[in-house]
Amino acid sequence: MASMNRASPVSNTHGFSLTEMIQMMFVSGETGEPSPETTTLIESIVQDQVQHMLRECSNLSTRRGSRFGSISTDDLFMLIRHDRAKISRLRHFLQWKDVRRSVKDSDDKGGDAGADVGAGDDLAVGVVASGAGPGPEAGKKAKRAKVDLVWEVQSFFNEVPPLKDDLDDEEEEEMNFATLQRLKNADERTKNMTREEYVHWSDCRQASFTYRKGKRFREWAGFGLITDSKPSDDIIDILGFLTFEIVQTLTEEALKVKAAEDLYKKTTGGESQNRLKRKRERGPFDPPEEAREPIQPAHVQEAYRRLQRGNNKSRAMLNFTRAVPRSSLRLI
Amino acid sequence: MSLPPSLHPPSAKEGPHNHNARMLSTWSQAQRLRTPIPAPSDEAMSNGDSNNNPGEAPDAEDPRAALFRERFARSEARLMALLEHGGHVDAQGDAINAIPPSSESSAQLPPAHDARPPVTPKKAVRTITENYGDDDEEEEEEDDSRTSPLFAKSVSNGSAAAALGTPTLRIPSFPPRLGTDRTSTPSTEQPRSSDDVRKKLLQDKKAAEDMAKRTFNTMFYTLENDRDAMLEQQKLDELDRQVETEMSRQANEAPAAPQQGTLSTTNMGASSFAFKNLIAVLDKKRHLVKASDTQLRSLMSEVRKNRSKWANEDRVGQEELYESIEKVLMELKAGENAGPFLQRVNKREVPDYFHVIKQPMDIGTMMKKLKGLQYKSKKEFVDDLMLIWSNCLKYNADPAHPLRKKALYMRKKTEQLVPLIPDITIRDRAEVEAEERRMRQGDADADGAEESEDEEPIMASRGRKAPSKGGLGSTTGRKAPPAGLEGTPGADGKPAVPSLMTSASNVKNENLRAESRADSEMEGSVNGLTTPPPGTLTPFGPNGVSKSGAPPSQADVSEADGTGTSMSGFLENEDAELDDLEYKTWKQVTKKDRAIIAAERNRLFRDDRLNVEEPAILRTRAGMRRWLRHKKLASERDSREGGTAASEGKEATAGETLAEGVEEEEERQVPDYYDPVCVIPDIPERLQWAEDSQGYVIQQSEEYMRMVPPGHFTSPESSLAKRMESNIRQMQDTRKICAKIGIVKQMQLQTQMYQNQFQKYDPQPFVEADIDPMVVTDDGAIMAPYVCRAALQRSVGKILYHAGFEEFQPSALEAITDIAGQFFQNLVKTLNVYREAPKTKSDMPVPTPTGAMTSWVPRFSQEEVILHALDANGVELESLESYVKDDVERLSTKLASMHDRMRSHYADLLRPALDSNAGADGSGAFNDGSEQFVGGDFAEELGEDFFGFRELGLDKELGISFSVPLHLLQNRMHNAYAAQNPSNVATTGLLMEEPPKFEPVTIHNVAGQIGLIQDWLKAKLQENNNQPLVEDEDLPPKQRFPKPRLPPTGKILSPRKRPIREQQQMARKKRKLDEEREENAGNEGAGANGSFTGKGSNKPLSKLKLDVPSQKDNQNVPDPEKDDGSAVGMISPESITAA
Repeated sequence: MASMNRASPVSNTHGFSLTEMIQMMFVSGETGEPSPETTTLIESIVQDQVQHMLRECSNLSTRRGSRFGSISTDDLFMLIRHDRAKISRLRHFLQWKDVRRSVKDSDDKGGDAGADVGAGDDLAVGVVASGAGPGPEAGKKAKRAKVDLVWEVQSFFNEVPPLKDDLDDEEEEEMNFATLQRLKNADERTKNMTREEYVHWSDCRQASFTYRKGKRFREWAGFGLITDSKPSDDIIDILGFLTFEIVQTLTEEALKVKAAEDLYKKTTGGESQNRLKRKRERGPFDPPEEAREPIQPAHVQEAYRRLQRGNNKSRAMLNFTRAVPRSSLRLI
Repeated sequence: MSLPPSLHPPSAKEGPHNHNARMLSTWSQAQRLRTPIPAPSDEAMSNGDSNNNPGEAPDAEDPRAALFRERFARSEARLMALLEHGGHVDAQGDAINAIPPSSESSAQLPPAHDARPPVTPKKAVRTITENYGDDDEEEEEEDDSRTSPLFAKSVSNGSAAAALGTPTLRIPSFPPRLGTDRTSTPSTEQPRSSDDVRKKLLQDKKAAEDMAKRTFNTMFYTLENDRDAMLEQQKLDELDRQVETEMSRQANEAPAAPQQGTLSTTNMGASSFAFKNLIAVLDKKRHLVKASDTQLRSLMSEVRKNRSKWANEDRVGQEELYESIEKVLMELKAGENAGPFLQRVNKREVPDYFHVIKQPMDIGTMMKKLKGLQYKSKKEFVDDLMLIWSNCLKYNADPAHPLRKKALYMRKKTEQLVPLIPDITIRDRAEVEAEERRMRQGDADADGAEESEDEEPIMASRGRKAPSKGGLGSTTGRKAPPAGLEGTPGADGKPAVPSLMTSASNVKNENLRAESRADSEMEGSVNGLTTPPPGTLTPFGPNGVSKSGAPPSQADVSEADGTGTSMSGFLENEDAELDDLEYKTWKQVTKKDRAIIAAERNRLFRDDRLNVEEPAILRTRAGMRRWLRHKKLASERDSREGGTAASEGKEATAGETLAEGVEEEEERQVPDYYDPVCVIPDIPERLQWAEDSQGYVIQQSEEYMRMVPPGHFTSPESSLAKRMESNIRQMQDTRKICAKIGIVKQMQLQTQMYQNQFQKYDPQPFVEADIDPMVVTDDGAIMAPYVCRAALQRSVGKILYHAGFEEFQPSALEAITDIAGQFFQNLVKTLNVYREAPKTKSDMPVPTPTGAMTSWVPRFSQEEVILHALDANGVELESLESYVKDDVERLSTKLASMHDRMRSHYADLLRPALDSNAGADGSGAFNDGSEQFVGGDFAEELGEDFFGFRELGLDKELGISFSVPLHLLQNRMHNAYAAQNPSNVATTGLLMEEPPKFEPVTIHNVAGQIGLIQDWLKAKLQENNNQPLVEDEDLPPKQRFPKPRLPPTGKILSPRKRPIREQQQMARKKRKLDEEREENAGNEGAGANGSFTGKGSNKPLSKLKLDVPSQKDNQNVPDPEKDDGSAVGMISPESITAA
């Protein structure tokens, strides 16, 4: 894979987050224990994606005319602007981050919001999946800062009127739809879990590439190599969020690939495979999923291929020319 | 001519037939013939040829008469022209001469031709006699004529003789008729004399030409033969040149025998009359003239156009014979198949040719011989011609040989043409004269018509003797009757007495003939006598025909072969004409002109390259006229369908538009497409200048002009476009509020404001302007790339605006427009590619729009085409849908909510206390008790401790803010607002009614005022030019003096804005000014004007003083500054609700 070769300059930082990777994959639905090859592959992909993002961001910021090429959150938003669901999730994430900060501040001042701290911590890593937690209620109380995007209607006008409270964006609904879908998936996965399993699961949900290892993450992502700017905490957090998204998407796609493959093998009376030993304790009413094997690197590669495929837009102006449509790396 | 051309097939079959008929008459007159008659056993062709002579003997009167008449007419015309307008002689002569004599005779004479031959010649003769009566050469001519009695007799023989009442003369013409009777076509046979044949041939030719011309309009002949034609023509020209040079060399060699004599004594022919004076002068000054007589004569004969170059006084009959011979030769030469026969066979090329052919002959040689005057008779000429063809046939014995076909064709042609040649044997004048004398001596008694002799010299003098034959005719006319009578019986099978052949007259004749006749003729005559009935002699069928081609000289060879007959007979069956007859005619008729044209064009090229040096082929007026005429002819012909020849009459009228000042050019026998540069293109009907019956010009423009339908360059109506437009309007409204908010915020920040500081934001609604009404001439797309691009740019701009851009850099807009244009071009191209994909065969037949069933269906349906094209251009349906859904529809809701937010924000900003239940003017806001006004908590924004509460610490105590609502800041709001809306004092009814206005003080009612101020008012009025005075309130806001207000601080603010410089000055003299301002305030309160006068700067005051009265002058005129004020985007409180 060409993209993996591009990641070689910073490959010395490989494997710094294998545990998190496995946790994230577990949250995303992978029940088996993936082989190191798989995780390494996924990590390379993620790393490549992150570095690509950084590169694009620095390009954007230079084009924007910012000094020292410092990356702003707008640049990151710009990169993923076409994925509205992701955008809204990201905005949601940032909002809750603000909430958490303000709560913390008020925590420092007085103590009346102290109950929310734990929820805030939780939100920092898994805000998307934490719809069921106590966080939202707490957040509702705090004044949510609206994250504005430059291409929003707001920026059409040079006066910014104060926000009205009862303004519920459709976008949030849209986001909610995607979020609900994820929550539903998570619910499906956790339906049959025992308490211990659920604890493990919720631990895994908090896995983050950035939490408490920002420095290593920065090295891993290539800060200093790709861009000279000192990234703000926001950037790092967003990147962490995005890496989680990438791993999740990739895993889900790989699982789909694997399911399709299994189905194909079953229908064609596929060869008997040596089933791997189950890793975990199971109850008497274990769902059939336990029999699943972990995803293989081939599945990941196929998933990656699928996710990279199908950007037709690069062909737009190339009709009737001899130029070969060349699509750039897609962000997952 | 009575016979239609089509009825006369110039076939070989009829030829001998006629000849046969004529031959019968021959036998009776054979003795009289001068031309040698070959043995009867010899070829029929030679019979045919030579038999023309005897055949013409009885019928010769017609051409003679015609000739006479023609000459007469010509000379008379010339005379008339000469006498009346001397200058035009040449022209007329030319005109007359331009027509070939033979064609003239056939064309002009036909009707009267047979009917009254006896009268005309006589008359002609008479006239000529009169004309030439006093000619100084008369004697000589008389002498001449006397010496050539043959000629005169030839006249008397046929036609004149009848008038002369010599019945005997008539008799001889009967026997031949009887002879013809036997050939079963007695009456029709007679006109079919050689003369008639000749005419018929000419007519045929003419008809063929006509036909070919007619086909010009209906047929397109390919040009592939033009090259051949050109090459042949070149060859011909070459040949002519060769002959010419050779002849001229000979002529040079020939020693000119200069002999001086009186010119008048020389025979100048008819020219002598025309040149009478000239000749007289020449004679007088003869010693001064260097030239010899012959030179002079040739000079004169050259000048005299109507004399042919062959004319020679000494050689009787040469002119006529040679003219016709030359014509025939030219005709043959120009023929399609003449190419190989033009030059003599080269020994180097064909080594064995001369082994086979002993007597080579070719047309070139014949030309030379002709020019060298080597031909003495028609027969010699014909023999030579036939020799050529027979040589060819002999040498190229292979039946398939291509040259044979040509030779056969040429021979056939020759046979057709030969009858055109009058059978004349050239004799020396001396001989003729001698004979004449002898004759006269011998037959003086028999000639009762000797008085006509005096006519003859004239004929002779004109050199127009058809003498030899005519002479013969005359002799036979007198002498032969008995001989004929005696001779014919033999031919007729009547009780003829062959012995009569030896009659005295015959002897005489034979004596005469003996000098010039070949012995073969003797044979002929002998044969004719000895051979029993000529019927057997007459060659019938192919045998005779086949032999006809063989000239006597070669005849023996072919005869000796024994195979010769059969072979030639076989050959005749070979089709000489493979081509379509029409095509042949076409080729024939147009050959020369085609050659010329091809040569013209060929000259333009050199080595297959365009030769730039060569002058271009240009359009000529004559060519255009010709084209017009042809076109008219063609159309006439079309309309008439059946009409054949009548079109000629119209030619003169055709093309009159271009005819002026163009000299008539020689008509080319080629269709128009050979002259494409001269074609006049049609003017489209609608562009033609047409008039109706009243003479008004018909406006034809309405029929085809049309307006461009509106909406061509505007975006079409669609719900999407409507939605986008409403979004845009929404944005504009919201921006308006934004601008107001900005102004309000600015006003709250600034203490000082300028009149023009705030530009009113007044966006214009987007209206897509269509193009101006435009007229186009045809249906179809309007090709206006610039307009299209502008329209696209407008659409792009709209979309950009819709996306939130309020304004764009032109370059950016251009770039986006270009990209969009490119994209759409690609899209449409792709659409076309898919739409035009080859059709596929379907199982089910599908009805087409026209109703027919077809099993071929388009490869893609419409939807497929669109989907494919979109996909190929990288457009996904989802993105389109999401654009419509997110960027248009959802945007509208977002914009609406944003607008609401803006409005409420603005309202909050402007009047914090203003609720929705406040009235239109805000008076409703006081309904709730108006605490904030009472408490003065609105003073905070002023930044001043309005009531001094803050100082007192009351604000902390009461927990209120001291801000002044903006609308209470009178001095800022009022001016601007009042300027904008002077009449906008809408009330809700709660306000006081306005008191009636003061009456303006005028010069009339000033007396009613208080006495104290009357003087002052009067002064004012005077100052105001006795115009009514205006109250301060009614002044335009700019000139209005601010109302004095006294704030609680006791400070009086500057009543009006001052220039900055002044402000600085004022700042410097703050102290002083403070004191002075108090004073001013007092003054102003009294309505006084400008108490600054003494202490402040003078400038503004003087300005003001000037301003006021002048303002009063133009009160009726709208104040420019007022306009300015309205242009400023000041906010009226009332506009809140409007927003």
